[in-house]
Amino acid sequence: MDKRRYFIRKVLNAVLTIILVASFNFALFRILPGDPARLLLPKGKTDPSVIEKQRKTFNLDKPMWQQFVYYWRDTVRGEFGMSFSEKRPVTEVVAERIWPTVLLVGVGTVFATVVGMIMGVFAGWRRNGTYDIVSTNLGMVLYAMPTFWFGLLMIMLFATKLRWFPTGRMEEPGVELSGFASFQSLMKHLFLPAFTFAIAYVGEYHLIMRSSITGVMKEDFALTARAKGLSENAVLWRHVVPNAMLPTVTIVMMNLGFVMSGAILAESVFNWPGLGLLSYDSMQKRDYPVMQAVFLIASIAVIVANLIADIMYYYLDPRVQA
Amino acid sequence: MIPRRFRNWIIFWTIIVWCVLELLTYPKTVPITSGISEVIKGFFSASVGAYPAWVMLLLAVVCFAAGAVGLVRRSKAKSFNVLLLVEGAVFLAWGVLAGGGGVDGWSAAANNISYNWAIQTVVVILGGACVWLWAAGNPERAELTTWNTHQVWKLYRANWQGMVGLGILVVFILMALLAPFLADHALLDPNAQIKDPATGELFGPYHPPTTYYYNWFGTDQVGQSVLTQFIWSARISLMVGLLAAFMSTVLGAGIGIAAGFYGGWQGEGWMRLTDAFLVIPWLPLAMVLAAAWGQNYWMIILIIGITSWPGTARVIRSDVLRVRELSFIERAKAIGSSNRHIMTKHVLPNVMPLIFANLVLVVAIAILSETTLSFLGLGDPLNFSWGTMLHYAWVNGAAGLPAWWYLLPPGIAIILVVLAFTFIGTAYDEVLDPKLRKREDSTSESRFTSRGEPAIAVAGGAGVGGGGGIFTPGQQTDDAMPDFNKPAGGSIGRPEGGGWVGGHIADDEKEGK
Repeated sequence: MDKRRYFIRKVLNAVLTIILVASFNFALFRILPGDPARLLLPKGKTDPSVIEKQRKTFNLDKPMWQQFVYYWRDTVRGEFGMSFSEKRPVTEVVAERIWPTVLLVGVGTVFATVVGMIMGVFAGWRRNGTYDIVSTNLGMVLYAMPTFWFGLLMIMLFATKLRWFPTGRMEEPGVELSGFASFQSLMKHLFLPAFTFAIAYVGEYHLIMRSSITGVMKEDFALTARAKGLSENAVLWRHVVPNAMLPTVTIVMMNLGFVMSGAILAESVFNWPGLGLLSYDSMQKRDYPVMQAVFLIASIAVIVANLIADIMYYYLDPRVQA
Repeated sequence: MIPRRFRNWIIFWTIIVWCVLELLTYPKTVPITSGISEVIKGFFSASVGAYPAWVMLLLAVVCFAAGAVGLVRRSKAKSFNVLLLVEGAVFLAWGVLAGGGGVDGWSAAANNISYNWAIQTVVVILGGACVWLWAAGNPERAELTTWNTHQVWKLYRANWQGMVGLGILVVFILMALLAPFLADHALLDPNAQIKDPATGELFGPYHPPTTYYYNWFGTDQVGQSVLTQFIWSARISLMVGLLAAFMSTVLGAGIGIAAGFYGGWQGEGWMRLTDAFLVIPWLPLAMVLAAAWGQNYWMIILIIGITSWPGTARVIRSDVLRVRELSFIERAKAIGSSNRHIMTKHVLPNVMPLIFANLVLVVAIAILSETTLSFLGLGDPLNFSWGTMLHYAWVNGAAGLPAWWYLLPPGIAIILVVLAFTFIGTAYDEVLDPKLRKREDSTSESRFTSRGEPAIAVAGGAGVGGGGGIFTPGQQTDDAMPDFNKPAGGSIGRPEGGGWVGGHIADDEKEGK
């Protein structure tokens, strides 16, 4: 397909979906039972005048279509109102939580991808061997396992019993570190949450890579490579693996969009101060403005990740270009 | 005459359904320790068969509608339809009896109808009789169903994974059903601490396991029996999983069939809706809904049901797109069948096996979803589920003690149940699709289609070209199943995974043409 048309189509699709999802976000917090003005205030007794004021600030006294217009104006400007648990603009609260999540998710994803794929390559290569059967069943178990439960087990084993790693947070409270020491401390704190985050994906990528390898091994070019007399290793790493990576890489990219859910669980278990913990906390405090913002960010992340996957696929797989 | 095997099934399943209903509503206040006569009396007490009145009224409406439609359209089994109407009338009477008790009397328990067990028995037997009459009225279809089911079961039985999954599941279902006899529900009372019978003293908080039955899994943060929680949790976890998956599958299958069957703007519209839902991250959405809608397990079922259907819709749609092109649909169209007729009589039966296989897999996802929500403290505070147990273990610092006996049992149970459903789904899928049974030779063919589309695009889009199954001609299930040989999850994903959203790559099958 024509390159320009392909890209334009993809981008338009993504923009359309973002508009749909953002509109859904608008509707979601208005179809919830109860007065939205009331929902946007802390629980408990509130002065009617305060509710009235709240109604004014959020334009809730206007007709629905005007509210919709205001919502869009604010969203485009990046204004999501005030967080009532922290009494600060939501944008500020969210902004400082983004980097810890990016760090956690980045490290976790790289780990999951590398380990999962390598495990899958060997399983697919020696299909039905002992290693394959053991690792594939392990992959199934990892896939069926609740992430947070694994996190709790990790805390129990490595933080409480063996005391190798801290039980949570990003740094020791009240301890000022600088230079290498602070980096070391960060890594120590990062290890368990990132490992927990990654473990479900390890199972998934292992299974995908294994099936992909098995498929590619049956292709004619793999047979040709063998017939040419290449060593087993050369066939595997030069011919089979690069071709088998294609679906896995795409799925990794698309999963990147869905990391929010995994981040919520890993971060709440380990008190990692990222977006996931923020959404858990705001859920508990019924801090709707923050929830709304996090929800929108999470949805847009999915759409953007899908778009990137589409574009990458265009370059990785010549067949799409044909 | 109805086939002998079919008749045996009717008798068998009628008894099973009756037992399940009796056990599910067996009074929680009568444990097995209260003596044999009390237990027997328990089966005939007011709580047995005491469902909310709306359930009975709903069933009445369903029976009336089905019976009336059958009579109006002069279906072959007239007596079957008449009996359906009778069954509907019984439900209606039951519902009115249960609902007639005033404002808060909307359940049979509230109205203290002590003969619910008798009505329930009648209803179940009538149900069995309905199936019997249906079979007698449609002998050739009954014959076919019998033969098909028997063949499927024979193939299924040969699959050790499927049998292992079934075995695990049966154990957990039995545990859930027999909960009143396995553990005293009174021990779930917030103040009910367990005593050591040897010393007569309370175990106290976080006591490690001992050989005393109720202390097999130790105690929790207030000295309650973890074993009791574990056994009663099985009910909620399994029930929420099954019902939510059922709801999600009905929604997803309906939308998937609509999206696949209708071309033009209608199909496109359904697909856009599915796509938009597919990109909404599941957990944040479910958290918002659960936080706003309150916390009881019916709400959790509703939330999981309405948020997890897009994966199913995509899978079903891709199969409908394949079925739509088959020649018998064309024939039906040519002789002027209505769209509704084609959808219900031709398309639905052909995608039904896929819907069922999908349902089994969605149960696994739904159980994980329920666990996740409950773990985050959004579960039903009055009813324990495995997720709720983990929630309490987490917030009360069981991991820091470390109280492994509180953490391990629920987690392992979840893994086993989820694996069991995955195994069953995979095995059933292999039974349906002969291509998968000999997959060693066929994987390469299924990776890429003749059109040269990437396999990923195929997964979400149109079929690979039909599997040619025995029982369901051309059944194509490649994209639904997480199994050993294919990407885990298919289009269905773990709660926090989002899963493998196939098809987004090439948007849809139109791309490839």
